[in-house]
Amino acid sequence: MLITCPYCGPRDVIEFTYQGDGNRQRPQPASQNLDAWNAYVYDRLNPAGDHNEIWQHSGGCRAHLRVVRNTITHEILSTEFARGGHKTESRS
Amino acid sequence: MAEQHLPERQSPLEPEYHPGSHGNFEHGVDVILSEMRPGTILQLAAWPGEEKQLIEIIGEVTGLALPDGAGGGVSSGARAAFGFAPGKFTVVDEAEGLAQAFAGAITPAVGTLTDLSHGRTAIRIAGPKAEWVMAKFFAIDFALPAFPLGAGRSTNHHDVFAQIQRTGADQFDIYVFRSFARSFWKALCHASEEVGYEVQ
Amino acid sequence: MSPRRAETGGRIDRLRTIRFTFDGAAYTGHAGDTLASALLANGVTLFGRSFKYHRPRGLLAAGVEEPNALVTVLRGEVREPNIPATMVEIYDGLVAVSQNRTPSLAWDIGALNQLGGKLLSAGFYYKTFMGPVIGPLKGTRFWMFCEHFIRRAAGLGKAGTAPDPARYERMNAFCDVLVVGSGPAGLMAAKAAADQGVRVILADLEAHFGGSANWSDEIIDGMPAADWAQRAVGQLEGNDNVRLLPRTTVWGYYDGNTLAALERVTDHKETPAKGEPRQRYWAIRAGTVVLATGSFERPLVFPGNDRPGVMLAHAAERYAVEYGVLPGQRIALFTNNDSAYRSAVALKKAGATIVAIVDVRADISNDMRRLAGEAEAELLDGHAVIATEGGKALTGLKVQRFDALSGALSGDERSIHADSLLMSGGWSPTIHLASQAGAKAEWDPARQAFLPPKPTQRWIGAGAFTGSFSTAEAIAEGRAAGVSAAGGTAAPAALPTVEAAPGDPDPAPVFEIKAKGKSFVDFQHDVTAEDVRLAHREGFVSVEHLKRYTTLGMATDQGKNSNVPGLAIMAEALGKPIPEVGTTRFRPPYTAVSIGSLAAERFGDLKPERLTPMHDWHIANGATMYSAGLWYRPMIYGLPGETIEQAYVREAKATRESAGIVDVSTLGKIAVQGPDAAEFLDRVYTNMFSTLAVGKARYGLMLREDGLAFDDGTTWRLGEQEFLMTTTTANAGKVMQHLEYFLDVIWPELKVTVTSVTDEWAGAAIGGPNARAILASCVTGTAVDNATLPFMGIVHGRIAGVPVMICRLSFSGEMAFEVYSGAGYGTHVWQALIEAGKPFGLVTYGLEALGTMRIEKGHVTGAEIDGRTTARDLHLDWMLSKKKPFIGSAMMDREGLIAPDRLELVGLIALDNRPLNGGGHVVEELDEDNPHDSLGHITACCYSPALGKYIALALVKDGKARHGTRAFVSDPLRNRFGQVEIVSNHFYDPDGSRMHG
Repeated sequence: MLITCPYCGPRDVIEFTYQGDGNRQRPQPASQNLDAWNAYVYDRLNPAGDHNEIWQHSGGCRAHLRVVRNTITHEILSTEFARGGHKTESRS
Repeated sequence: MAEQHLPERQSPLEPEYHPGSHGNFEHGVDVILSEMRPGTILQLAAWPGEEKQLIEIIGEVTGLALPDGAGGGVSSGARAAFGFAPGKFTVVDEAEGLAQAFAGAITPAVGTLTDLSHGRTAIRIAGPKAEWVMAKFFAIDFALPAFPLGAGRSTNHHDVFAQIQRTGADQFDIYVFRSFARSFWKALCHASEEVGYEVQ
Repeated sequence: MSPRRAETGGRIDRLRTIRFTFDGAAYTGHAGDTLASALLANGVTLFGRSFKYHRPRGLLAAGVEEPNALVTVLRGEVREPNIPATMVEIYDGLVAVSQNRTPSLAWDIGALNQLGGKLLSAGFYYKTFMGPVIGPLKGTRFWMFCEHFIRRAAGLGKAGTAPDPARYERMNAFCDVLVVGSGPAGLMAAKAAADQGVRVILADLEAHFGGSANWSDEIIDGMPAADWAQRAVGQLEGNDNVRLLPRTTVWGYYDGNTLAALERVTDHKETPAKGEPRQRYWAIRAGTVVLATGSFERPLVFPGNDRPGVMLAHAAERYAVEYGVLPGQRIALFTNNDSAYRSAVALKKAGATIVAIVDVRADISNDMRRLAGEAEAELLDGHAVIATEGGKALTGLKVQRFDALSGALSGDERSIHADSLLMSGGWSPTIHLASQAGAKAEWDPARQAFLPPKPTQRWIGAGAFTGSFSTAEAIAEGRAAGVSAAGGTAAPAALPTVEAAPGDPDPAPVFEIKAKGKSFVDFQHDVTAEDVRLAHREGFVSVEHLKRYTTLGMATDQGKNSNVPGLAIMAEALGKPIPEVGTTRFRPPYTAVSIGSLAAERFGDLKPERLTPMHDWHIANGATMYSAGLWYRPMIYGLPGETIEQAYVREAKATRESAGIVDVSTLGKIAVQGPDAAEFLDRVYTNMFSTLAVGKARYGLMLREDGLAFDDGTTWRLGEQEFLMTTTTANAGKVMQHLEYFLDVIWPELKVTVTSVTDEWAGAAIGGPNARAILASCVTGTAVDNATLPFMGIVHGRIAGVPVMICRLSFSGEMAFEVYSGAGYGTHVWQALIEAGKPFGLVTYGLEALGTMRIEKGHVTGAEIDGRTTARDLHLDWMLSKKKPFIGSAMMDREGLIAPDRLELVGLIALDNRPLNGGGHVVEELDEDNPHDSLGHITACCYSPALGKYIALALVKDGKARHGTRAFVSDPLRNRFGQVEIVSNHFYDPDGSRMHG
């Protein structure tokens, strides 16, 4: 599987670390809403199809990426820096 | 403080560094391996939006005209610089003391400066089979059009992080963590046996 | 002259004779021979014994699909089993042996299994060995009894046990176009793509490029096909944008057009050159793949179709044309299609007598009648072979009239004398890689074959792979595929002309001749047509179940021959058309792949080593090294005759009495820099760092998001916006990722850079009552007295001319300092400290003494911060700031994390004065026979020289409340039971007077 890092270009998946479901929303730091924290820490979407994920290019530039991946075909639909900015569409 | 006389820095490769020809060299050596031992290896990082400013500062301090764009880099005999991550650059100088030259220039508004002169080990591989040997370690495309002269890349070989700069048509400078350097060097020599190599 | 080697012909080098042995007998062959062709030339007909019944088997094929002639190649002590003899290139000194026979190939005791054929039918193992014990000879226990004998009798070659000294390597390759297969289609594709200027890789599993051109009788561009192929290869060799990979099997097609290939670099050489790997694993990332993998000829299923001497028709043609070897002198052919006629003519030309062509079809075209005439063969149309005769070699066959529509046999049996029977059951495109790439193959009723699916990745098919079996089509499709793969448009130039024998590519839909006797479908796994029907009768209707129950297609050849005939027989049994029965998906690897090639350079060096700057000094000074993650650290510096315990006790005691020094360079060190660095640390650590003064250090604790403890360490403020964070050695990477995640994903607005500077600094921790005096004697440029360097203070100075940074902090509980210098000066500074310490009796100490002193002090490490403990469990709740939120603050007070019965950190003292063991449990009541009701477990243990006792740290339920009470350790695994006293984890100097000085 190849993931296109917006900085480094397409790289083998071995250079990346999966950092989980990209749909999670971290509550405000001071929030005492335990349900919201619980959802953030433990709940994960597990769709059969397109999924928003976070990957770190840990074996490369170390940037975190927001990746849309199809969990059935493993096709990577898009990647962008988690910080925002450059987005790479790679739907073939 | 006046610069005092410093002892020579110890190379992490020392006991495994054997100058001369090795491996299958009867028909000539196809790669030359060497440790570069630059005096300065710096990491410069710009805050988002300050990248161009940082590139300008690098140009002013080192005289190196860094091309903009991911992985852009340049090398001149004694100095080299390349981008290795968004907003981050490695700057190398043969001489020690480049950090001081940058110290005033990199203001908190621009970014940060981290001295890695001891922490990274620079290994050069050159020769007609340099791409071939590099391909044994790293899953990146070393062909010249894909990896142009001066450009930098961040990648890894198993647990060994590496920053690689192409400093010649058939020459690469590899920056690895010092603690991994000997292990990597041994692997590099081993992988070069097939083509014949010389350690300089 | 060899008995079967023709006087002329073949593309072998008759001037070069090569000597080798097979089963101990010496043979010769020529350069260019495979083991199969060379043995065949020597008159060898018996190559192996079959898997289950130990039937004698000869060569079936000439290529990679060979199911019978599997051999073991020996190189010194190393044995590589199960290689098709057809894929072994001979070299001087080659030693090969046959397999699955006792005591010899010719006299195999296992052949008695043939008498018990009914017993060993499909599902034998399931029926006999699975499930409850009913009778005396049934059930799983019976299997355990029989397994040894069965595994010896059934099966393949024996794997060796000697270590493999060969070198294996991995290569990463990138190309625009990867062409798999170098027959006419592949060659044209590679040429066309290369002409477009793109990067091309051409891979073929054979030693010589050319594919069918190497043995076809055809004329391409006015020259023999083989010469045309060689010319094309020569043109490709001259292109520097083309990489040619002969002897390279592309065995896996993965996501992102990533393909795996195995290059057999030196398997055909007597001795590899220095540094040359035996095999290379290529990971190829291709823009577009051209699949020109050709097709396999299918056997026909009829009684005795496995007898030595029965061979695939094209294989015989190949042995004759490529190797100059005739599989027999009197050859009969049995076919359901036209291609066998071409084989007949070729073999006739090579000098054989073609006694008959038996064709299941009644209506034979005039073209084929003409070819039969050319071969001077009797044409038996509307006939079928119903039996073969002979023992270890074929002597004849029986034919009968056959109706292709009904499958009925009629009329008199007729015997034909022949020493070779060649069969052709039609052709199956080699669609394995396309199937691996993701889509389902489609059945083509005309070709009676599964054709490649629509591409789901970027590949283009060409030639026989697509079901276009003629060379002219292969050439046209190959060029079109190459041009298109390279992103070009087809040049109008004329295609090479082809002169080839005529032939209809569509076979008659006949797969099996039902007559008395064992008819083999899967030769390698000894699966017969009757086994398939039996499976159906027993209710196995899904093709996936059929496969597993009969093991059809599950041998090392992965059903390359048997897949389609097996499905056809199953379909007939089910009364369904073949496409409704479906096919199984092919999975990697296409052929067997050595584990060595997968491990590649990782073999013997699985983990890179991380060495501290002082590593060589440690080795030279008697340290016993210990691998901690990737790091190597001194465990003890043992004196002659010392045990490990004696060494660490001596080291720890000397440190507490005077001074000791330890290499702490492995501690994770992260530079945290930027205007928001202090704010970031406040969020990351449970305690406050923004209040830390420049030039001071503070102990910090991090939690995970879920509120559990994550890591601890000291962080030093080197400047207003500059911190040096230290982490535990083991967690350095994890902490780095944790910080990067929060900066990148959660708080991108913070202006902070984090950089691993672990390797930048050499660290030496020097501690003990005399540590300060030692430093004072060697440090210049700064004082180290209490006023200048208070507890947790930082100063800069020099030691032996080298700039150093000194922080006064203590892990040992003694007055202690960490001295950091540039890694390149690490040994220099270390030696200067050792020298300065000599008058004070300074000792070097290793991890064991370090651990001992930290246990005595009750400090936690990864053994206690184990991902299950909270700050409170570890009595670190004083570090949880109430003034600010931090990572984990919202979750750390959840019910379960503050429950009163949680395990808490305590100290244990062994009351029986015997060593305690890590992992041993703590119980209230001792019950050696039936240990129960654990209160917790031991995390770390040692002999404490300071206390003169065996002590341990433990996590114990309600631990604090149990201080001063007694309990027991219960460690049945190591038979260690005994009484302990539960005490505070702070065994030694609990008020810290020693380190505060």
